[in-house]
Amino acid sequence: MNTIRIIFAAAAIVPLLAVAQERYATRTGHISFFSETPVENIEAHNRKVSSVFDATSGAVEYAVLIKAFEFEKALMQEHFNENYMESNTFPKASFKGTMTGVNNEDITKPGEHKVLVKGDLTIHGVTRAVEHAGTVSVGGDGVLKANSDFIVKPEDHDITIPGVVRKNIAETISVKVSMEYTKM
Amino acid sequence: MKTATIITVFAVVAVLGGIYAWTEYSRSHVRTADVKPVIVVDAQELLADFQEDEDKATTHYVGASEQVIQVNGRIREIMDEVDGKVNVVLATSDALAGVVCEFEAGSIPEEWRVGNPVQLKGICTGMLMDVVLVRCVAVE
Repeated sequence: MNTIRIIFAAAAIVPLLAVAQERYATRTGHISFFSETPVENIEAHNRKVSSVFDATSGAVEYAVLIKAFEFEKALMQEHFNENYMESNTFPKASFKGTMTGVNNEDITKPGEHKVLVKGDLTIHGVTRAVEHAGTVSVGGDGVLKANSDFIVKPEDHDITIPGVVRKNIAETISVKVSMEYTKM
Repeated sequence: MKTATIITVFAVVAVLGGIYAWTEYSRSHVRTADVKPVIVVDAQELLADFQEDEDKATTHYVGASEQVIQVNGRIREIMDEVDGKVNVVLATSDALAGVVCEFEAGSIPEEWRVGNPVQLKGICTGMLMDVVLVRCVAVE
């Protein structure tokens, strides 16, 4: 049982904890990435991101299945899984850290807040400390919309790009994270 | 004459190679509806297998390369459309986990309602909080 499932189970089994802490979750978060080069642009989307945000502590986690990234072209998706991400060996990517700039009081009323997300990002089995800005919007319906854009370098996660396609893949990949959290 | 023949052969090979490369580069994803499932399983059993041994279940259901599986179960929830996709959650005995199946919007049979028993095919990608299938289609 992974950490996210343990948090879900704890919130359900121990109601007192749920009262004391404001936990939000989604299992349909969206992460996309974009690689731009003069040769070609590559884009992929994953709308099956599981994430939990604890507004009391600021703790935030998300996890994503690599094989759930969808590309327009089948060949790109095959190369991504087999040659670069080695998704049979490293089937998931994850983030675990904290989000500051929004708290229990902020999420009781509609508004938008600038936040700072810090933590450990694990891709391809390699964990790196990351820090990036984002926003959290509180809707009148109680839904929290969290958005963040950041850059990932494949080489930082030991992802090797063969020389023959080096010019097809950008050295820095733009990543967009978009979550719509509902209260647990 | 000999030189002309060699040039012609090279040109034909180059053209055929180019056509193959372009065809392969532009190849679309396999339509799930056209593929016979390699495994047929109940939603409950699918989740239980992942919860018992995630690595073993991943090898079996996700496979080394993309494969289509059929899942039979009862609808727990049909989520709202987002970005042209609709998620159907199949129920299990675990209230906190199910089987989430992503469909193209508009491809879900109109008669599908919460509580209905259904059969669907999709690409299993693994398990997070739920078992996740993408590119799903209903099995009529």
